[in-house]
Amino acid sequence: MPKAPSGPRSPRRRTARMGAPRQGVASHANGASVRPSDARSEAAAPAPAHATPTAAEENPTLASASQLSPETDEPSAAARFHIFIVDSGWNSAAHRVLVENFALLRNLQKDDPIYVLSREQSIELQRRHGSRIVRDPTIAVHDMDALDRGGTSGFHGFRLHLGLLHTPQQALLGLQAFARFLVTYRHSTDLEADIRANLRREGLMGAIEIIMHHEARELGE
Amino acid sequence: MPERFGDILALFMSALAVGYMVYEIERRRRKLHDVWDVLDGEDALLTERLEDMVVSGELQPYTGATLA
Repeated sequence: MPKAPSGPRSPRRRTARMGAPRQGVASHANGASVRPSDARSEAAAPAPAHATPTAAEENPTLASASQLSPETDEPSAAARFHIFIVDSGWNSAAHRVLVENFALLRNLQKDDPIYVLSREQSIELQRRHGSRIVRDPTIAVHDMDALDRGGTSGFHGFRLHLGLLHTPQQALLGLQAFARFLVTYRHSTDLEADIRANLRREGLMGAIEIIMHHEARELGE
Repeated sequence: MPERFGDILALFMSALAVGYMVYEIERRRRKLHDVWDVLDGEDALLTERLEDMVVSGELQPYTGATLA
């Protein structure tokens, strides 16, 4: 893949970073339909700002939750990360795990905006970047501090190709590790070093387990 | 002669075991990086595209509680 022009991005980025989410607008083409199977997630979820009247009527928990202040649900103005979810909708274990645990992930990441690409947007993106196909769902996290400092030519975030984890347990462990990392290192001054140290540690643990003849490590396998 | 043959066999098996470990560690390292890695210059185009979608308003912060 060719390298992009280096240098910090235009001030447009700063404008976007400070922008507040529009209430009542969901970027996901499929919307946020409420299904009976999501009832457990809904109970734990905060004010779903754009719940439709129909969904609220069907789910009393949702109706009462929607009366809460929408401000509690908004990411802060100075978001450290932009989180993107690219999912073209393969009927995979990773897709199901992501859908079932999204509410929890979102609650853990209230300080940062989450952008969910629609299925059409995800497919279009993958058509342009063929190497990403069949690796989705992908969660890409842009470190806005790094982007403002050095643009896209160097380190500017990290990503998880959840679709490469084939069993529900692997996908769940991967998602949990990812969420834990996001929360833990949100205020890190050197995120790149933290990520690389984490990866080294994972690699070392894997090596030790191989030598000790332990079972395959869930995340790396 | 049998003793020497045994030594050679042991040496060969040890080399195989070490080779397997190196291969397996490298395989897992690569797999881990496939699943989880940093974004850098190689991802620049994709990153720019996503950020442009945010700037243009094509993408809005998701306010739903669940994914469809």
